[in-house]
Amino acid sequence: MTTWRLLKKNPRLWQRYFVREKVLRAIRLFFEDRQFHEVETPILIAHPPAESYLDVFETTLFDRNRKPREAYLSTSPEVPLKKLMVAGMGNCFALTKSFRNMETQSSLHNPEFTILEWYRVGVDYHEIMKDCEELFLFINTYLQRIDEQSEELQPKVLVYQGKDIHLAAPWERMTVAEAFAKWAGVNFDEFFDMKKARNIAEKKGYTVEKQTTWEELYNQIFLNEVEPHLGRGKPTVLYEFPGVMGALARKKQSDPRFAERFEFYIEGLELGDCYSELTDWEEQQGRFENELKEIARLGKTMYDYDHDFIDALKVGLPECSGIAVGVDRLIMLFANAKTIQETLLFPGEELFSL
Amino acid sequence: MATITTANFKKGNFIEFRGEPNQIADFQFVNPGKGSAFVRAKLKSLKSGKVIEFTYKSGESVEELPIETREMQYLYKEGEAYVFMDNFNYEQYNISESLLEGFIKYLKPNDTYQVLVYGEDAVGVRFPKKVWLKVTEADDGAKGNTATGATKTVVVETGAVITVPLFIKEGDTIGIDPETATYLERG
Repeated sequence: MTTWRLLKKNPRLWQRYFVREKVLRAIRLFFEDRQFHEVETPILIAHPPAESYLDVFETTLFDRNRKPREAYLSTSPEVPLKKLMVAGMGNCFALTKSFRNMETQSSLHNPEFTILEWYRVGVDYHEIMKDCEELFLFINTYLQRIDEQSEELQPKVLVYQGKDIHLAAPWERMTVAEAFAKWAGVNFDEFFDMKKARNIAEKKGYTVEKQTTWEELYNQIFLNEVEPHLGRGKPTVLYEFPGVMGALARKKQSDPRFAERFEFYIEGLELGDCYSELTDWEEQQGRFENELKEIARLGKTMYDYDHDFIDALKVGLPECSGIAVGVDRLIMLFANAKTIQETLLFPGEELFSL
Repeated sequence: MATITTANFKKGNFIEFRGEPNQIADFQFVNPGKGSAFVRAKLKSLKSGKVIEFTYKSGESVEELPIETREMQYLYKEGEAYVFMDNFNYEQYNISESLLEGFIKYLKPNDTYQVLVYGEDAVGVRFPKKVWLKVTEADDGAKGNTATGATKTVVVETGAVITVPLFIKEGDTIGIDPETATYLERG
């Protein structure tokens, strides 16, 4: 049964869907309080950022007199926001739609999704961690106030699927190396060595084949042994990721094997991805070119990267940090729903009969 | 055994996991931030009935188990097990509660079902597209709650509770899709 039919049949369900508008409103209020500019970034674009792990939606822009142009649906508002930072806009955010292909058959993905990105000038990623703590408290307080669920507000507690999540700052902070040691018994210094990493994974019983990459070994151990433990009862900020896994992140100065990147988790669910932004244009260009080679090797949709973005970095991106938050997941949490589809009035699987 | 990859995963498939027979109870695609795709499966052990989660690399090979289908009559429940009899050779098989899960509430003694057999063991029942069951408890249709789309709930002979249109009465035989627990038609 499609969602509108369900709603007609069972009007009590509306409340769950109305959480979305409230959360979107709370996000805008939060950034308004902090004097951030809200920016509309383009959804139809000519050059997606080169990221080999993403599959893009491709379309064509027709022009009456000239040859048609390849066009794509934006995978994130990151590049246009950074150009505006170069231009001097200062702290800003976008709350918009992004599109990623091949992300079906998942209760945590929709081909079209709502993304929140914000950028702060002159700070590193530790400041964004604080923003996340404040944003969640703000939304939770806002929802409890307007819903008047109970006489006694508990803005520091979010109840999700029968479990209390304590949102008060500071959240738990843990490096990737610490998390691997604690939950998977893996010494990360050893794991950096491909040969040793293969041995470690094999001993754990994973299938390791010739073509298995380091990233696959890392993520398979992470997804099976580490991720389920993160954010239990209290959000976890997981930080300092292996450098190979942050296409647009700055390297950690004291240990360049790691990138200044963090993700945060609630009840094993990843909600946001942040980094201290890479400002070096040459390194950025090199990474884009590598990603394009990888896209070609994988046989995915080919496109050129945005040369205007490299030019912008040449002019100079100020020191800044930014984060992308999956707003559908955030809404799912606050709506106490098990899947993001249960918070979407028109989920993709319904539109495309998936 | 046949080798398949995660691309061939289907709910209900039987596969080997770390040397043990398992059934895929459910699976999802997982796309870690800045990472390749993975498939997170819920695997139910055919030995213990316990469900665990395991995340495969997308495209990883797994062994699919050879499963036979045999027609068997359901006889009775004995402790935690459900006893079936092979219609062909009259051999009896026990299926544990955890492996029948969603189907238990449609099982009717003496009816014939497609039973899944792995080696020597019966490991489940293939859900029929439709089961016919008699309504044993139904309220007067006129009192149905019209605000919820003119439906009411009734109880059928095996104990399952089903949402049906208001015109269904006690004593009617109705067709039900056991997979989704939904009413299909009146017999």
